[in-house]
Amino acid sequence: MTSNDLRWLAALLLLAWGPVQGAVPAGVRMEPVKAVPVAADLKQGKALYERYCNQCHGNEGKGDGPAADFVYPRPRDFTLALYKVRTTLSGQIPTDHDLFKVISAGLPGTSMPAWKKYISESDRWQLVHYVKTFDSLGIFKDEPAKEQVAVSEAPKVTPELIAKGKEVYRAKKCWQCHGQYGRGDGTSAEGLKDDWRFPIRPVNFTKGWRYRAGDRVEDIFRTFTTGFNGTPMPSFVDAIPSAEDRWALAAFVKSLTRPPKNGQVLKARRIAGEIPGDPYARAWEEAEYLDFPLAGQIILDPRWFKPAHDVITARAIYNDRELAILLEWDDGTYNKGEGGKPADQVALQLPAAKITGDEKPYFVLGDRRHGVDYWRWNAGQGLARFTAAGHDRVTPREAGNVTAQGGYKDGQYRVILRRPLTPSGDNEAAFEPGRFVPVAFHLWDGHQGEEGLKMAISSWYYLLLEPETPLTVYLWPMGLGFVALGGEFWLLRRLRRRRNEEVKP
Amino acid sequence: MSDGRTPIPGPSPSKGEGNFEALRARAGLQRWTFYFAIGLWLAVFAGLKLLVRPPMPASVLTIYMVLTTLAILIFVAANEARFRHFLAPLKAVFEGRVPRTLQVLVLTAMPALLAWGTYLRTAPSFDAPFEPRVVHPEPPASFPFHGKRIAVAGLQNPLRTGGPELEKRIAEGKTIYYQNCFFCHGDALGGDGHFARAFTPIPANFRDVGTISMLQESFVFWRVATGGPGLPKGATPWNSAMPMWQNFLSEEEIWKAILYIYAGSGSTPRTWDEEVKNDKQ
Repeated sequence: MTSNDLRWLAALLLLAWGPVQGAVPAGVRMEPVKAVPVAADLKQGKALYERYCNQCHGNEGKGDGPAADFVYPRPRDFTLALYKVRTTLSGQIPTDHDLFKVISAGLPGTSMPAWKKYISESDRWQLVHYVKTFDSLGIFKDEPAKEQVAVSEAPKVTPELIAKGKEVYRAKKCWQCHGQYGRGDGTSAEGLKDDWRFPIRPVNFTKGWRYRAGDRVEDIFRTFTTGFNGTPMPSFVDAIPSAEDRWALAAFVKSLTRPPKNGQVLKARRIAGEIPGDPYARAWEEAEYLDFPLAGQIILDPRWFKPAHDVITARAIYNDRELAILLEWDDGTYNKGEGGKPADQVALQLPAAKITGDEKPYFVLGDRRHGVDYWRWNAGQGLARFTAAGHDRVTPREAGNVTAQGGYKDGQYRVILRRPLTPSGDNEAAFEPGRFVPVAFHLWDGHQGEEGLKMAISSWYYLLLEPETPLTVYLWPMGLGFVALGGEFWLLRRLRRRRNEEVKP
Repeated sequence: MSDGRTPIPGPSPSKGEGNFEALRARAGLQRWTFYFAIGLWLAVFAGLKLLVRPPMPASVLTIYMVLTTLAILIFVAANEARFRHFLAPLKAVFEGRVPRTLQVLVLTAMPALLAWGTYLRTAPSFDAPFEPRVVHPEPPASFPFHGKRIAVAGLQNPLRTGGPELEKRIAEGKTIYYQNCFFCHGDALGGDGHFARAFTPIPANFRDVGTISMLQESFVFWRVATGGPGLPKGATPWNSAMPMWQNFLSEEEIWKAILYIYAGSGSTPRTWDEEVKNDKQ
């Protein structure tokens, strides 16, 4: 389907929609649209657009600028006046304030930044005016939005409200796309397309930072009401007419989000006894976790600009013999390397030798002078181990003392990698309590065709086996405290004696 | 609380203390010197700890707090009456002229605070090791580029000429920037692209006056062409995620991209003329 066909289709739909429009669904309160504070100056708008926007959205607003092929999701095509993030009813165009808000605050989970940091308020309004001129159907001109959905204050979020929302989630089949645990792994998640026929994936509800319209309960509620035009995400005002139910659902979805917990040091705590091989065991649930942000591998050829994954979560535990690391990531599709798609993979990168000073191997697969020890787990084939001294010098080696256990459940991979603390030979870093060991992560989604250097990467972080606290750590403060206490009593006695002497004569 | 307290003489109005001191003493404020001193100390600490962003290193904070303590002590000790007022609450506690519970509370709190402070010092820290980094390291005399060697000294952007040609090249540079650089260095050249948070050190912010606007184009060309791996030893080359752009771009494309990052961020490169001018001043 060409974009011209699409335009006709959209026009037809609009005609069909016409009579329906104006009929506000029951349970939705509308309010008049606020006035636009800045008058249009299209010449200025064009200049601003060509300075800040055309690289992605294209000179003609078709979403085909030079950067368009290098970002996911693709930049918006303005010619059809189809917008996801709005305050208007399903199928309607956004208000000017909606466009202004997106330009100002950006779109989470995309490459659209928050321009308020860089462009003045009145200039952002000029961009709103100019972007509307790309509308090939003339809707912005002929039928501008007059009303917007009024969102009242969110009710107090209680466990009961969340439980009720969970029931709505089940009954209204949100899980069909978004998955039972909201990880975007529902049975219908695969093969979804947007109105431009580009593949589109349901959002992973655990990643609040990717919610296009914001992740406050009010934002989520508004999205249920308005729907995302141009995508498979419909408005739920008809399916869930009760606003109370939609609030409950919003509260439930919000309860699935988990803010990222970033840090530089992954700490392994020492436990007594065996390290469980079951990634759902209590010892793992209790272990401290860290989220490591990932980026596309755009440093070595072939570069990969649109990575499927943006984060990996890791936990670590050790006992008197071995260290184990649990890697956890969400993936809407399980790929074992069948059906012409590569398998999902994860890799842990460690220096191949003891680190002296702060010099580390090159952060992607090491370099000639400093090699890396590379443990890669493949959903189809399990563990493979390599030594790398640069991306072009990757040598397979025996897995030796490294073992892996992994699996996929409910839209999430959990893989445990373990190795004895003492190195068994060459090309291995020692794990000693108190010593910082550099660690980096690589991640592949086979469904998106990721394999080899087409992957998501992290920079170097540190792994630390938390040493048991020596007794002196407590003895010093206690000793000093007692000395101070003694000094106080000495002073007290002295003062008292002096006073007594003063009184006596 | 007041019984048994030695009468404290008021401030001497003659010795350079001015009317303000006199007024303050009359209002009885001086009686609260001790509490003012503690409050001021806490306020300075809270201000430095909470308001200064990015947070300052602990060692710097210690220096500031030592200076603050000294300054407060000097101020308090500068006037005899004030000093007595300052000591009065402490004396009252030690001499037992306060309720018993308060005395016990203060006498246990002081060693406890000391012990806690000591514990904070002796407790093991699991912070990542500090890695010193040279932000703009000295470039080498020359570097390899596409099989030849390019000398850094005297290297100039051959495309920086005047006229409409320049506008065209900047526009071409913009396309190169958005197909190669913007993922990290940002849509608005602010070092905040959608991949930026995955990398340490974070990508350069071209709008910052501390980056390209204080550098010559020759330096920028060297950094772009050789990337992280081209950094000299001592600048932690193993950390920078900057690719070796000569693997992907031609010499001309790199110069065009450099034209754009200056134009797009509204900055101008440092030039030799300026250096000469500065030297003469």
